[in-house]
Amino acid sequence: MLNSTILSYITFVYFGVFFLYLLMMLFAREILGRAATYVLIAGFAGHTVAITIRWVESYMLGIGHAPFSNLYESLIFFAWTIVLLYLIVEWRTKNRTMGAFVSPLAFLAMAYASFSPNINSSIQPLIPALKSNWLISHVITCFFGYAAFGLSFGLSLMYLIKRLDREGRGNIFLRLIPNPVILDELNYQMVVIGFLMLTLGIITGSVWAHSAWGSYWSWDPKETWSLITWLIYASVLHSRLVRGWKGKKIAVLCFVGFACVMFTYFGVNYLAGLHSYAKS
Amino acid sequence: MNKTTEKDKPNLPWQFFSSVRLTISLLIILAIASISGTVIPQQGQGAIEFARKLSPEMFRFLSFLDLFDMYHSLWFRILLGCLTFNIIICSVDRFPAAWKRFRAIPRPDRDKPFEDLPPLQAFLVKGKLKESADKVEQLFRSRYKKIQKKETADRYFFYGQKGRFSHFGVYLVHLSVVLILIGGLAGSFFGFEAYVNIVEGEEIDTVTLRKKMSPLKLDFGVRLDNFTVQFYENGAPKEYRSVLSFIVDGKTVEKKNVLVNHPVQFRGVTFYQSTYGKVPGKKVRLKIHRPASPLEITSLDVETRKSVPLPGKEGQFSVVKVSTNLMGMMGPAVLISVRPEQGDETSFWVFRDQEKILKRFPDLMSRNTKLNSSAFKPYTFFLDGLDAVFYTGLQVNRDPGVSIVWTGFFLIIAGFFVAFFSSHRKIWVRLIKSNGELDLSLAGTSNKNPVGLKRELEHLTENLKDLF
Repeated sequence: MLNSTILSYITFVYFGVFFLYLLMMLFAREILGRAATYVLIAGFAGHTVAITIRWVESYMLGIGHAPFSNLYESLIFFAWTIVLLYLIVEWRTKNRTMGAFVSPLAFLAMAYASFSPNINSSIQPLIPALKSNWLISHVITCFFGYAAFGLSFGLSLMYLIKRLDREGRGNIFLRLIPNPVILDELNYQMVVIGFLMLTLGIITGSVWAHSAWGSYWSWDPKETWSLITWLIYASVLHSRLVRGWKGKKIAVLCFVGFACVMFTYFGVNYLAGLHSYAKS
Repeated sequence: MNKTTEKDKPNLPWQFFSSVRLTISLLIILAIASISGTVIPQQGQGAIEFARKLSPEMFRFLSFLDLFDMYHSLWFRILLGCLTFNIIICSVDRFPAAWKRFRAIPRPDRDKPFEDLPPLQAFLVKGKLKESADKVEQLFRSRYKKIQKKETADRYFFYGQKGRFSHFGVYLVHLSVVLILIGGLAGSFFGFEAYVNIVEGEEIDTVTLRKKMSPLKLDFGVRLDNFTVQFYENGAPKEYRSVLSFIVDGKTVEKKNVLVNHPVQFRGVTFYQSTYGKVPGKKVRLKIHRPASPLEITSLDVETRKSVPLPGKEGQFSVVKVSTNLMGMMGPAVLISVRPEQGDETSFWVFRDQEKILKRFPDLMSRNTKLNSSAFKPYTFFLDGLDAVFYTGLQVNRDPGVSIVWTGFFLIIAGFFVAFFSSHRKIWVRLIKSNGELDLSLAGTSNKNPVGLKRELEHLTENLKDLF
């Protein structure tokens, strides 16, 4: 199919973007960073077109549905949300250093989707359980949440790396990373967005489950893991807002949170449960 | 003095439950505890298989901790109860302070906000004091609430604010969490979760409760008029549809389609499409071979449990049992019982896939008369096919807590927006007459989002400059 061919090329574009951001960090050349942004925008445009084509192709096959119905489509969309959110943050903060930490996430998601032998990239018809208007809102909110937590993970990593920077150390890479206070603040904002989106994702999923499975909460592993993730980020917010934790502690908690996100997304597939259509 | 000592008196339980350290600990404990329930299969078939593989000690240990149904166990509920209690106490403990901040209106002529003012926020303008003050006031009133004004001979002070409801966002979120938990509790106390299988054409008025596996009688009847299943070309299921009639006092009151994602509610009870299957119907198609009879082979449709005369009139036979797949591997089969006029009753199984079975087990029939379709001489029975009818598997629930949970969902999102994206901004403007010019300065504080406040002050500065 045309869409999956384009998407597999986009994978390489994102790898190129990562490489450009990395070179920018190593040689402190503004031009490399600008090139990275332009290539990323071009890649993102292609990515958007490919998703649209996939959507249209599904209608041409007579089984039209939004391209959010299996692991392949969710990975493609995950990468798309990460890039979109990153581009917004880059534009708002006018800082490109985060690109070197976030673009690998988009690249890895695309590479996994395009090149894993276990993932089927063909367009499949919707099974009865997925035929619902809630599908689109559930998937969009969840993946924007995951993407925001992905950015928070990148920022936490930057925070911990930045701590290695010392006066007079002269490492360009470390020097270019913004100062920890800004990273910490931006990380907090990402956690807030992610938390809001995750909550919306859980709510839409819950309302949907109520009509599809007859119960808004059935302690299915994916539900439970999303709740675990929610609890971890709720504790991040409380420890920061009420107890005043900052910096390293928050960064470490965000690592734990993102590990939970990844388990909610992938790990749960190895446990039996109701969300089996997200496996392949 | 008296008051302070009373306040200082340590009230240990209150202190314990009003601490956010407890909240964070409970959140993390709940998160870790929840993991075990996703690793250990909960209830059902999976749990039984898992339990079989364990050593007896391990099994006893895990069942002592209720780990095979942990989300409904007492200890997990106590944890949830503690969290709820903690949320309530924390909120009650902190609410008065928030109320104070919500209500407080500072004096307009405070000097403190103007200390360390960024140079951009203070500038000189030309004009008369009174007129200028009026212009400033007009702009100020259009943007802010609770305007306070104070004037002296050579200066004017204004105070305005917005977003003071932002102090309540967190309480709205906490209230929502409590509502959701209450809704869940109400559902488990006053609702039920049950299931029922209905065969096409049949009517039921009793469902089976999932937890206790006991029957529950509904005050109306449900009949399955029709069940259809559609498949895509690739074999994946496309649609399951049950056409249900709801019957009260023998009359069909309503007729509705139940599909996956489209449940149907009748008298507060909701029906969900859950599974389906086939069961043998009433009729069985048989072929009977008798070498000496006028017609060597007789084909006939036989109703189960009904006596039918043998073609050669030696007696009666009937189909006693029907299986769609005998022993899970032998395929469709019927148990036939023959009662001759003389001699003993004989019964034996007849398989539809006789030839296949004989290939796998060549001496099966000669060894066991129970499995020999020629056991009653001189007849040989053949099974041509079973009549199969669909049954639909419905999930049947009543949950009066749902509307409370939905309210909680709605409020928690509203609460997030208030808590995270609104802030209580207090703005002061000061106009001082000095040397024929007017010294205009503005200052502000905000309970969160300092960047947003800075942007707003810059914007307001621009607008104030434009006035002159």
